[in-house]
Amino acid sequence: MSVRVRQAKRRFETPGVAIEAIAPAPLIRFRQVGLDIGGRTIIDGVSLDIRGGEVVCVVGPSGCGKTTLLRMIAGFVQPTAGTVTFNGQPTAAPRPDVAIVFQDYGKALLPWRTAAGNVALALEAIGLPKPQRPARIAELLALLGLGGHADKYPAAMSGGMQQRLQIARALAQEPTVLLMDEPFGALDAMTRQHLQDELLRIVTDRGITVFFVTHDLEEAIYLADRVIGLAPNPGRVAREFDIGLARPRDQLATIEHPDFLRLRRALFEFIKAAES
Amino acid sequence: MSVSRLAWIAASALVFCVIVAAWQQAADARVFSPVFFPGPDRIWSALHRGWTQGDLAARTATTLGHMLVGWLLASVVGVALGAVIGLSPLASAYLKPTLELLRPLPASATIPVAIALLGLGESMVLAVIAFGAVWPMLVGTMHGVQSVEPRLLEVAHALGMPRRRVIRDIALPSAIPDILAGLRLSLTVALILTAVTEMMAGGDGLGAAILDAGRLMRSANVFAGVAILGLIGMAGAMLLSILEARCLRWRLAS
Repeated sequence: MSVRVRQAKRRFETPGVAIEAIAPAPLIRFRQVGLDIGGRTIIDGVSLDIRGGEVVCVVGPSGCGKTTLLRMIAGFVQPTAGTVTFNGQPTAAPRPDVAIVFQDYGKALLPWRTAAGNVALALEAIGLPKPQRPARIAELLALLGLGGHADKYPAAMSGGMQQRLQIARALAQEPTVLLMDEPFGALDAMTRQHLQDELLRIVTDRGITVFFVTHDLEEAIYLADRVIGLAPNPGRVAREFDIGLARPRDQLATIEHPDFLRLRRALFEFIKAAES
Repeated sequence: MSVSRLAWIAASALVFCVIVAAWQQAADARVFSPVFFPGPDRIWSALHRGWTQGDLAARTATTLGHMLVGWLLASVVGVALGAVIGLSPLASAYLKPTLELLRPLPASATIPVAIALLGLGESMVLAVIAFGAVWPMLVGTMHGVQSVEPRLLEVAHALGMPRRRVIRDIALPSAIPDILAGLRLSLTVALILTAVTEMMAGGDGLGAAILDAGRLMRSANVFAGVAILGLIGMAGAMLLSILEARCLRWRLAS
């Protein structure tokens, strides 16, 4: 991932056609995207490039269209103006290599299926042959620290475990892109920190591109390569923050770093201004 | 089984025994005429005699058969039709008005119609039972598949699951609690209609036997037949409870 990011960065630093040709095209591209519903403009003129392997967090006041942008990448919502493309193709419908993790894990898991069964749902959907499923399920559950809970039903699991399970199910799709809609918003602080670190470890290992919607500014800075600040009425990109913090990130060192604090202040002031 | 649960069972058994004993006392004291009001002792001996020497066992088997086959027919038709109507707006538009017209019909009122159409045989009995018992299943399944958590449909959509798989893996399983509730209600209706149709149609079920015994003033036999019907209802409810506990393990998993 780091190589790709460096290449991509060079594109901004060194103008020139030759470099432009080497740099990979953005994986996800919003071009002048707008959405009108019933005469009301929800999203207006959003242009955004997301490179492969990048972790992008989206923040902004409620009603600024964070989730709508996510749903456009997912292919759930079609823009009424402009285009959203994935690898150059319009995101007309959901695709198996784009996985979603919802905030409400309690509703997003199949309550009548065990942890293993929930992961199996995604494996069935991508058409993995049955004999290969058990090993894959065990591997994914172990990756999320659910190794001993394969036969548990969601009702018997804590919120943190249920969200781990949902992430395991999303990873079962072997996604190129992970769309996460406030995935840790309902978890307690300790669980959230653990899951943030595990998420970063997994997506960095696998070079997964992450589009992460959150309310939590510190979470956004901690996770992201880039934070997109949206403003409401209508929803639009107001500012982008490049987060140059070193990886791997650390719950103590990163958060106490002067750059982190500086970014935190900048984001905080941005949100305050956007809300007023 | 926990001690408190055993205590509850013991307590409810005790209540039952007290009621039976009081009944026996009332019968012995001839509070009502023994012609109409037999004591538990006479009912028991009628049961025993009927079961060992008479045709009570065979009649019970016939009645059970009617109830179960009718109920099964109702379940298959009810779940299938309920799923189709619940999942397809088109089917709903075509079928629902007709069904809304048929549903409030008292099933017992359809017996003469069924006799006129199908005669007095087995097929009439089963048709009436199935017709009456189909509604709780149909409505339960319809409601169940329609009230699937929208988030789960999004999950299915995101996974690109084809419609057939969404129905099999998401809509039907999430309707299971409603389907089970429908099964339970249907079973009660099926038992009621079994007794009523057997009374109207004659034949060799318990319903006809109860009616005949009543006409001959054999009150102990009437009560014996009613007791067996009660036991059938209770056993059915218990079996369904076990099925429910098995199917809904995931609800209270720990």
